[in-house]
Amino acid sequence: MEVNEPARGKYFDGVSARQHQVAVHRDHQHGTEVLVIRRDSGADILWPVSELREVTDQARDEGIVLTQGQDGIARLILPHGPAEHIIRVISPNLGKVSVSGSKMRQLFLWAGGAVASVLIIMVVILPSLANQLATMIPPEREAALGRTALSQISTFLGGDLEEMTCDRPAGIRALRKMTARIVGEAEVPYDLKVAVFDHDMINAFAVPGGQVVLFRGLIDAAQSPEEVAGVLGHEVGHVVHRDPTRLMLRSAGSVGILGMVFGDFAGGALALVLAEQMISAKYSQQAETGADVFAHKRLAAAGLPADSFAQFFLTLREEHGDTAGFMSHLASHPDLQGRADAARAADAIGDGPFTPVLTPSEWRALQQVCG
Amino acid sequence: MSSATPNDPFSRLTAHADSPSDGPADPPMQVDYRGTQGPLFRLGLKTALLTLVTLGLYRFWAKTRVRKYFWSATAPGGDPMEYTGNGLEKLLGFLIAVAFLAVYLGLFQLLLMFAGLSLLSGSGSGQDTALQIAASQATLVAVFPFIFYAQYRARRYILSRTRWRGVRFGVEPAAWGYVWRATGHWILTILSLGLLLPRQTFLLEKYKIDRTWYGNARFVQHGRWQSLYPAMKHYFIAAAAIAIPALLAASNGQPVWLVLTFFGALWFYYAVIYYSVASFRIMAGTKRLGNTVQFSATPRGAKVFWTYVLGGLLSSTCAGMVFTAFFIVAGNFLGSSDLFAVEDLSEFGGLADFGLAEAIGIFMVFLGYIMMLVLYGVFALIFVRQPILEHYVQETQILNPAALDDIQQRSRDEMVEAEGFADALDVGAAI
Repeated sequence: MEVNEPARGKYFDGVSARQHQVAVHRDHQHGTEVLVIRRDSGADILWPVSELREVTDQARDEGIVLTQGQDGIARLILPHGPAEHIIRVISPNLGKVSVSGSKMRQLFLWAGGAVASVLIIMVVILPSLANQLATMIPPEREAALGRTALSQISTFLGGDLEEMTCDRPAGIRALRKMTARIVGEAEVPYDLKVAVFDHDMINAFAVPGGQVVLFRGLIDAAQSPEEVAGVLGHEVGHVVHRDPTRLMLRSAGSVGILGMVFGDFAGGALALVLAEQMISAKYSQQAETGADVFAHKRLAAAGLPADSFAQFFLTLREEHGDTAGFMSHLASHPDLQGRADAARAADAIGDGPFTPVLTPSEWRALQQVCG
Repeated sequence: MSSATPNDPFSRLTAHADSPSDGPADPPMQVDYRGTQGPLFRLGLKTALLTLVTLGLYRFWAKTRVRKYFWSATAPGGDPMEYTGNGLEKLLGFLIAVAFLAVYLGLFQLLLMFAGLSLLSGSGSGQDTALQIAASQATLVAVFPFIFYAQYRARRYILSRTRWRGVRFGVEPAAWGYVWRATGHWILTILSLGLLLPRQTFLLEKYKIDRTWYGNARFVQHGRWQSLYPAMKHYFIAAAAIAIPALLAASNGQPVWLVLTFFGALWFYYAVIYYSVASFRIMAGTKRLGNTVQFSATPRGAKVFWTYVLGGLLSSTCAGMVFTAFFIVAGNFLGSSDLFAVEDLSEFGGLADFGLAEAIGIFMVFLGYIMMLVLYGVFALIFVRQPILEHYVQETQILNPAALDDIQQRSRDEMVEAEGFADALDVGAAI
């Protein structure tokens, strides 16, 4: 590598496709250290050592590929050996990558554009369009969709739809009576159906088309029929507002966009689930609050205390803890304490007398609807 | 064609690139492949993990680095190719594409969902499920023009960032012309029940190749589309293997013949791969760079097919073993708790609460699942993609290479949007 002992290498000048055999040595010129690349013919080429960059991720392990500056088009290939070693020692910027300010500005500009575009479609356009379209789907179509969803859910819970549905006649009669009392004069856009699933989960849900399902675990956990009635009112609220259908339409649109943004890579799939959960939670917290308000109103109209509804949230909280902080953004439901407070505030009866929603024997029948 | 033509916007230097060489001996140039499993596996794993921890953001750099590796492993005449793309420009192109596509895709999917719902008969039967699936497939049809556009642009981007001996490749910007041609050819091919597939393959290839340059020398696809019919032979065999037993079953009422159609269906998979390999081979033989440089490629369909099958099996076995290991560890934490009590639709309760052990267990299962997907991609890199690339590369020869020495540089195709549309629609090149 010294003047008298040049290293042999290959050089491509970036002008033609011809390969040049070159001899390379190190020299000082005008106070800076340079590589002198000497071809068979033509003037020497001088590359200041500080401008040398290495071309990375090369498969062919036969030496070092060098270029002048980040965007240089000429290439110098030197075989492994003392020359490569010396260059690695004397070159300070072999691995340096610099990004120009204008490139960064361009990047931020378009990142802003992309974010704005995604936000507008997901937060503004899709939800409002979903709300509009949900009312245009004929109820019998929604009911078909609901039946499909229901059989999928029962498969997911590990059972057959027929087997999971509880059907003791006395219990079903009690459930009908409760449903009639809660719905009262409210206008329901579907043929409302309420069923009980034989499962331990303390939960209830509504699917498109007016089908509401309570889990046995929820009836077991309730201390009075009024608590169950409150939950039922909440689910009927979802039905009346067509929430399941709206949610389904909206997520059909947003899943496509999110899939595009995060790619199909595994890490992308994770981010996709989180982001979709986050957005649908925000959207559905609104829906949940709406359903709660509906339940409060129906309880009041039916002459029932909302206090027991509040009590049920507190029971849930004791058993499961609350979801506060970061998790509350992911949870599709508002925090339980808040819901209990809202229920109390809406109570129209207070400690006054009221006609129980079920008689003691009907309540026992409902508790044993699954046998 | 003897020099750069005026309709190449990137031609800058008009040297006598294509003058036939008059040297007596001009032996064919072999193309070496020097990639190895170890370094590629390490590169693949490193970039995949970085992609994972950056929630997918690093994927633009990951793809770029793997390309750099594959390009540099390929060395016509001993001189490696070089890929000069970078992750940042790919990210920028992607952001541009997202800004344009988000509104279109979101509206589109929602309207299709609506149309799908409105089509339901209300019986909740299997027919409904089929209709829903059909509606979701219709999304694909609507993005087809975008896909063709994206594919042409992605090819242009990749070749503009490809160099050999320091000289750039390049593709003329003609994506819209490609879009309507590709759409038309697809319609014709479908209407002809696939019989015009060779015409589609050849004419689209010709459209792309005739607009492709190396330095100031232009590629031209010669030949006729009819000469691709031999590549179709396994399609015909597969079709016969499906149709004849089906006809026999129908005519003498013995459904046992239908079992044979199953083998016909399997043969179809082989036919797809055979066609792509054989048509590549035939068309490579009639490509020309400049006036004299020609090519010869002899990849074999069976070799590529078995690499896909066995390499794919090997990759999934390796990845599956990793998942099993995670699952066993997770089992120690989980015991018998109710793993799958996940929220659905509009439920009533809040989030269920787990103990710490269950949380760790679930996290382990989740991590194992993610690692399985990640590692599958990395194993597939060394067991499927590299062997196939290696086979194609080693079976390729460059004939009359002397004229390559005279080819001059072309100027850079800036292409700010890079291959963003292909990335957004996930239709990019395999590598």
